[in-house]
Amino acid sequence: MLFIIEDSINGILMGSIYGLTAMGLTIIFGVLKVINFAHGSMLMVGMYVTYWVVVLTGVNPYLAIFIVAPVMFLFGYYLQDIVIKPIFIAEKNVREPITVIIVTTGIWYILDNLVLLVFGPQYRSLPENPLRGQMLQFADMFVSVPKLYGFIISIITASAIYWFFQKTTMGRAIRATSMDREAASLMGINQFKVYNIAFGIGAATAGIAAVTLVPFNNVFPTVGVLFDIKGFIIVVLGGLGSIGGALIGGIIIGLIESVGPQFMTATWTEAIVYGLFLVVLFVKPSGLFGQKNDW
Amino acid sequence: MNRSQINKLAGIGVLVAAFALPLIIRSATYLHILVLLYFYAYLTTSWNLVGGFAGVLPLGHAAFVGIGAYTSTILSLQYGISPWLGMLVGGAIATVVGVLIGLPTFKMRGAYFALATIAFAEGIRVIVENLDYLGPFNINGPRGLQIPPLETGFTNFMFAGKEPYYYIILVMLLAVLLLTWVISRSKLGYYLNAGGEEPEAAMALGVNVARAKLIAMAMSSFLTALAGTFYAQFSLYIHPKSIISLDLSFEIAFIALIGGRGSIAGPILGALLLRPVGDFSRIYFGDTLPGMHLIIFGLVLILVMHYQPRGLQEPLTRLYTALVDRLIQKKEVAGRGKHGIA
Repeated sequence: MLFIIEDSINGILMGSIYGLTAMGLTIIFGVLKVINFAHGSMLMVGMYVTYWVVVLTGVNPYLAIFIVAPVMFLFGYYLQDIVIKPIFIAEKNVREPITVIIVTTGIWYILDNLVLLVFGPQYRSLPENPLRGQMLQFADMFVSVPKLYGFIISIITASAIYWFFQKTTMGRAIRATSMDREAASLMGINQFKVYNIAFGIGAATAGIAAVTLVPFNNVFPTVGVLFDIKGFIIVVLGGLGSIGGALIGGIIIGLIESVGPQFMTATWTEAIVYGLFLVVLFVKPSGLFGQKNDW
Repeated sequence: MNRSQINKLAGIGVLVAAFALPLIIRSATYLHILVLLYFYAYLTTSWNLVGGFAGVLPLGHAAFVGIGAYTSTILSLQYGISPWLGMLVGGAIATVVGVLIGLPTFKMRGAYFALATIAFAEGIRVIVENLDYLGPFNINGPRGLQIPPLETGFTNFMFAGKEPYYYIILVMLLAVLLLTWVISRSKLGYYLNAGGEEPEAAMALGVNVARAKLIAMAMSSFLTALAGTFYAQFSLYIHPKSIISLDLSFEIAFIALIGGRGSIAGPILGALLLRPVGDFSRIYFGDTLPGMHLIIFGLVLILVMHYQPRGLQEPLTRLYTALVDRLIQKKEVAGRGKHGIA
């Protein structure tokens, strides 16, 4: 019984980090109505930024957040402004522009392979990293320390974003745009500025997720792909556009992955995740926390 | 000479050239590249029936390639059934799976449909990778299946040179193009087009959009599975990670999108433009600049979506029409000149 509790705790911790990796995806979808296929790649870029910041300056990996998050915000802001915005303008009247999805896939290909070209295919991990494999002991249970930090950072990030969307003027403008772009534009909200900022925030959360991953996960050019598909599943589970939903969706996936192997071969848990995903899509496509006709 | 005569002449010219190519190109490498080019053009044309005409974005077609490849290979390895028969069985199974996937997913909106097809394909890959035996059939899990050399010949779908494969895939490609052309001028084609652009309006006019989409999906998955058998016999090795991969699913969709989805020429143009870029940059930059071809791919994708969101077939068709116009005009001017002299 104890090992199930132990697995559940570690599953919840890892799941909250999954939720954090998917949070940007859900924000970008909520506002732009576009699935950002480059989200895993943005996470990967964030991981490389974190890695180099820590290696070059020697700061504590978690303090790197204060560099990585702003850098990634600017990265996302200008990526949307320069590459994606022109497509939106060209396809102004389409509610769910497929061309934009395709462009984000192009960005994914370019980012992953550019990083491969520059940094090579090798796996990198932080040198002299005391956090890796560090465990906390409760009774007879072991809990991973870097995942515990990741859990705390996920909760703080989700709360901060929630507060930002609910209480600030910019947050309200973003929500207004996500509900009805035309009406928001008529109220004097600059639609494309809102898109830039939403994309920037999405990228910044990917950066924060990257910081929580680097202490225990290797960094390599295709690392984003692992989180890409998982991210799609998480956001649909939780409801596309719902921030709390992303966190819950992530925790569900984390629990299946960590408790599942007690009952079956570990690789089968992946099949269960896809199965659950399809069931949710068919039964309740709006997800656990998405509003019905909203997205 | 008028326009339709010129079109006919150009068509015949391209056909003759396609059939004569192996007589000129003797290099096995180039023939291999051409065979794969036609293979991708075939896959993309099959994809186009759903992704182009029905106006949705399926991103899991590799699953059907896998179903076709595995079915014919298992039937041939375990029961000695000719891959040609296995090809049809694979197509039938893929049709059933395609309809089963289409039934619930066609109700979904754009993004959800794309994600659902990805999940289906990935789910099938995970199942194949995790099972050594599916009932009595040995699918050999993550190791994939190797096809041992049999006596070469038509019934065994096994040949010594590349030329027979070239002609088989060429004929398959021509057949699927003809089918697409027939469908695009049929009632089904109009239904699909209407349902893809304005589903509500089409339904209000009494078009059974869901049924039209399902028929398209059934045909598309059947045709895609046939190519799976071809690929298995051509490469003699199938591996779940490569044949049921997301990369393959995405590449099929991208070729269609860059060429121009929903048009007959689009997939061919897309394959003609993208495959050589991929192959040659792999050959020349593969060692020094790994991943270069995918960077080029991504750039082309973004630029085409930016400047020609309907694909490259549009400007190319315009160019072709303009050329034909010039030809006709010249003839007319020359003809008038003659009359003047006479």
